[in-house]
Amino acid sequence: MLTSISRRAILAIYAVIIIVPLTVVAFGSFKSTQELFAGPFSLPQSLSPDNFAEVVGGQNLGSSFMNSAIVTGISVPLTLFLASLAGYGVSRLKGFMSWAIFGFLVLGMAIPAQANMVPLYVLFGRLGLLDNLTGLILANVVSTLPIAVFILGGFMRTLPKELYEASSIDGSGPWKTYSSIALPLSAPSIAAAAIFLFVIHWNELLYPLLFIQSPGNRTLPLALLSFQGEFQTNYPLLFAGVILASLPVVVAYVFLQRYFVAGITAGASKG
Amino acid sequence: MSQISRRQAVALLGALGFGAAAAACAGPGGSTAPGGASGPAAPSTGAVTGKVSFAHWRGEDKAVFDELIKRFAAKHDGVEIAQDISTSNDYNAQALQKLRGGSIGDAFATFRGSQFKNFTEAGIYTELKDSKAVGNYQKGLLSAGRNGDSQLGLPYQVVFPMPMANVDLFDKAGAEIAPKNWDAFLGMCEKLASAGVIPISWPGGDVGNGGQLFNCMIANNAPVDDMCAQIEQGKLKCTDDWFLKMLGQYKDLAPFVQPNATGTAVEPAQNLFSQGKAAMLATGSYHIAAVRGLGAKFPIDLVFPNTTSDGNGKYEGAYNATFILGVNSASKNQAAAAAWIDFLSEPENAGYYANQTAQHVSVDKVEYTNPDLKRLSPWLQKKTALAARFQFNNLDVRNAVEASATAVISGTSPEQAAAAAQKIVDERL
Amino acid sequence: MSIHPGTAAKRKAPGSNAPANPAKVRRRSPTRVNPALYLFPLPAVAVVAFFLVMPTLQAFQYAITDWNGFSAAFNYVGVDNFVRAFTKDSLFTNALTNNLKFVLLVVIAQTVFSLVLALLLTKNSRGSILLRALFFFPTILSSVSVAFIWKFIYDPNFGLANSVLRTVGVDGGAYLGNDAQALYWVAVTQVWFHSGQMMVVYIAGLQAIPRELYEAAEMDGANKWQQFKSITWPFVAPATSIVVAYTTVQSFKAFDLILGIAGNPPKAALDILSTRIYSTFANSEFGYAAAQSIIFMAMIALVTWLQRRLLRLTPKGD
Repeated sequence: MLTSISRRAILAIYAVIIIVPLTVVAFGSFKSTQELFAGPFSLPQSLSPDNFAEVVGGQNLGSSFMNSAIVTGISVPLTLFLASLAGYGVSRLKGFMSWAIFGFLVLGMAIPAQANMVPLYVLFGRLGLLDNLTGLILANVVSTLPIAVFILGGFMRTLPKELYEASSIDGSGPWKTYSSIALPLSAPSIAAAAIFLFVIHWNELLYPLLFIQSPGNRTLPLALLSFQGEFQTNYPLLFAGVILASLPVVVAYVFLQRYFVAGITAGASKG
Repeated sequence: MSQISRRQAVALLGALGFGAAAAACAGPGGSTAPGGASGPAAPSTGAVTGKVSFAHWRGEDKAVFDELIKRFAAKHDGVEIAQDISTSNDYNAQALQKLRGGSIGDAFATFRGSQFKNFTEAGIYTELKDSKAVGNYQKGLLSAGRNGDSQLGLPYQVVFPMPMANVDLFDKAGAEIAPKNWDAFLGMCEKLASAGVIPISWPGGDVGNGGQLFNCMIANNAPVDDMCAQIEQGKLKCTDDWFLKMLGQYKDLAPFVQPNATGTAVEPAQNLFSQGKAAMLATGSYHIAAVRGLGAKFPIDLVFPNTTSDGNGKYEGAYNATFILGVNSASKNQAAAAAWIDFLSEPENAGYYANQTAQHVSVDKVEYTNPDLKRLSPWLQKKTALAARFQFNNLDVRNAVEASATAVISGTSPEQAAAAAQKIVDERL
Repeated sequence: MSIHPGTAAKRKAPGSNAPANPAKVRRRSPTRVNPALYLFPLPAVAVVAFFLVMPTLQAFQYAITDWNGFSAAFNYVGVDNFVRAFTKDSLFTNALTNNLKFVLLVVIAQTVFSLVLALLLTKNSRGSILLRALFFFPTILSSVSVAFIWKFIYDPNFGLANSVLRTVGVDGGAYLGNDAQALYWVAVTQVWFHSGQMMVVYIAGLQAIPRELYEAAEMDGANKWQQFKSITWPFVAPATSIVVAYTTVQSFKAFDLILGIAGNPPKAALDILSTRIYSTFANSEFGYAAAQSIIFMAMIALVTWLQRRLLRLTPKGD
C-alpha cells in the first residue's frame, strides 16, 4: 500500500515538474515582461500574438525557420540515402572488406564534433563552405553518417541473404535489388533513423555557431541563442522563439510518437 | 579474398590518398588575412551603389538604423544597406572570423579595446584619416579609433557606464545624489535602504553588464590610467593594495545590492529599477531606452560611486567612446560603405540616432532634444575616466579580473578573490 | 497514441537467426561478389574520409603549432600546447574538473532516476503509457530551448523556483549565480532533459524479463528487494551499460545547454571542456584549441573505457 502511494507521489511530482515549466512557457509567450514577472503562473491577459510577430518579423525568426527546414529537409534524406547505400553494400560484401568498410564508417561515431572543429573550420573556409547552408548540410551529413550506417547497416545485415540471391538469379542488378528489395524491407529501420536524424539536425547548434556568419543564414537554434545577448534577456520573446522552434518537432511527436521513441532510443542505444 | 576485392582495396586506398593530399592543403598557415605590413589603405572610391552589409551588435537600435538607411538610400540611387546584427557577446567572440572573409560587414562597428586591437592586427580596417567623416567628430573622442598615425575607426557613441538613479526615490529617501566620497556613498545607500527600497539593482549574473560597475570602482583607486593594460602585462597585480582596497569596497556594497544579485540577469535587474523597487541600476546610460520601454516614468540621473576617502579624486565619473565605425579592407564595396559612415557622421543624422536611442554621440554640433539626453548632458563636460575594462585585450583575463569583484559580493574574501584572478593573469603573461 | 518500447526488442529479433544465414548462403552460392557492390559504400566512405577522419587526424597536426588561424606564419611547438593545458592553464583544468564532476553527477543521477521511472512504468496500462509519453517529451526539444526554460526557472528574482519556494517562506538562493552550486543546477536540468529517453531504454529491458521468474521467486518467498537484486538487475544490466555510455558522452558534450543557460562564453563555474575549446577557438588560438580537442577526445575514451570495466565487474561481484 505504502509503495503504491509513494509510486504515485513520485510520478505525480515529476509530471508536475515537466508540465508546469512548459505551461509557463506557453502562457509566457503571450505576456509582456511586466506581466510575466508579476505572475509567472497566471493565464495571459490576452492572446495577442505580438511576441510571435516580433520574433518572426523583427528578429527574423521566419527566415531562420526556413533555413532550418531547408537544411533538415535535405540533410536527413541525404544521410539516409548514403547510409542505406553503404549499409546495403556492406551487407552484401563478404569477408574482410565488408568488415573493414563497415568498421571504417562506424568508427566515426567515436569522434565528437568538438574534436575536429578547428581543422574542419579551416577546410570549409578553403572550400568556400562557410556561411552557407550547403556547408551546414554537409556538416550534418558527415557527423551523423556513421551512426546512420550503424543503424541501417546493422539492420540490413540481418535481412535473409536468400532474398538477394533470388533477386540476382532473376537477373536484377545490385541497384535493382537495393531499390526494390533492400530499401522496402528496411523501411522500419529507415523510419527510426529518419526521426533520430530529424531531431538531431533540427536542433543542431555547434555547426551553425561555427560556420554561419550572416544573420540571414542562421538556423533556428542559432537564432534563438542570438536572442540572448549582453543587452537582452527578454523572456516572453525567448519563449515565443522556443515555441516556434519546437513546433515542427512537437507536432511530429504527437502524430508519430511510437516512431519517435523507437528512433531516438535506437540512436541512443547504438550511439 | 578475391582479386576484385584487392583491386577495390587499391582503389579505396587511392581515394584515401586523394583525401589526404587534399586535406594537406588545408593544414595550418596560409594567409587568409587581407592587407599586409604596409599599413592600411584608404577605402577605394567610386560610385555609391550596390549592396552594403553593416555589421554591429545593437539589436535595440535596429529600427533607428532602418530609418537612417532609408534616408541614405533616398540620396544615393541603387544603394542597399542591410544590417547584420549579432548579440554583443557573439560579436565580441566571432566578428573577427566573420569580417575577415568580407562576406559581411562592408561597414561595421567594433568595441573599444581588445576587439579594436585584434581587428587592427588582422588588417581589417581601412584608413579614414582623410575621410569626410572624421572632421565631424569631437577631436578628444577620436583616440579610441587611432593606431599610431592612422585613424582606423570612428568611435560613434559616448556612453556613461555608471549607475543610473531614480531621482524620485532619492528625493523621497532624502539621499544625496552626488556623494563626495565613499562614506557618503555608503551613507546614501543606507538612507535608501532604510526608506525600504533596494539601493542598487545589479545584474551580477551577466558578465557584460555586471562588469560596468568595475569602471567606476577602479577609476580613482588605480595609481595609473592604463591600469587594466598594466594588469594584463603583469606590471600591476590584482594582489596589489589598491586593488584589494577596491575589492574591499565591493564588499561594502554587498548589503546594498538586491538579494541573490550574482544570479540576476539583465532584464530582471532592469525591472527592479523600472518598477521603482530599486533606486539605482548599476549598468549604464545605454540602458535608458530599455528602462523607459519597461515603463519607467521617473526622472533619471547618473550616480558616480566615488571611491575616494577625501573627495579629491581624479575623476567624477566614467565614460566610454565605443561603437567604433570602420570600413572593411576585405569589402568589395568600400565606396558605398565609406559613404554610409560619412552619412552617419553628419551632425543631423548622428543627432537623429542619438535622440531616438537615448545615446550620446561623439559627433560634434549635435543638438540633443531627447529629455533624458538633455538631463545627462552635463556629464559630457565633467571629468570622466575612460572606461577601464575595455583596456583588456584578452577576454579570459578580463573575465577573471571582473569575476574577482563578483566573487567578493557573493562572500569570498578580497584576498582570496584577488589571488584567484592573479593566477589566471599570470598564466597568460 | 502509445509508446511501445517493444519495437526495440522486435528490431533485434531478426538478428537472432542471422548467424545461421551466412553459412547457408556461402554453401549455396559459390559465385563471386559482384564488383559493382563496392560502389555502394563508396560515397559514404569518401565523405567520412575527407570530412571526418582527415580533419580529426589534422587536429593532431594543428595541435603542435601555435597557429592563430589567420596569419601565414606559425611555429611548430611540439607538445607545448599539451603541457600548457595541464600545467599552466587553470581555466582549462577548471573546465576539465567541472566536466568530470558534471559527468559523474549526471551519470549517477540520471541512471538511477531513469531506472526508477522505468520500474514504476513497466506495465502497459493507460496511465503508464501516457506518463511515458510525457516524460519522454523534453528529449525532443532543442538544448537551447531547454536552457531558456530553465534559465527562467532559476531566475532568483522573478523565476519559478523561488516563486514557489517563497510561498512557503524559503529563499532558494541565487541558483546559477552561486558559483558553488551552479554546476549542480545545470546537472538537474540535464537530468530533466534526458531521463525520459533513458527511461525508455530501461523499459525495453524490463519488459523482456519473463513474468514467470517473478512468480517463481514469490513462491520461494523472496521479497521485492531480493527480486530486484536477483532477477531485475541482471536483466537490466545490458540496458544500464547503454544508458551509462550514452549519458556519459552526452554530458561531456553538454555544449549547447551550457551556452544557452550560461551565455557565451560561460563563467568559470560553468565552463566545461567543449565550451573552453570553443572559447580558445574564438580567441584565435587555433593550435591550442586543437590540442584541447585532442585531450577532450582522449578523456571521453578514457572515461568510457573505465566505465565498461566497472560495469563488467559489478554483476560478477554480486
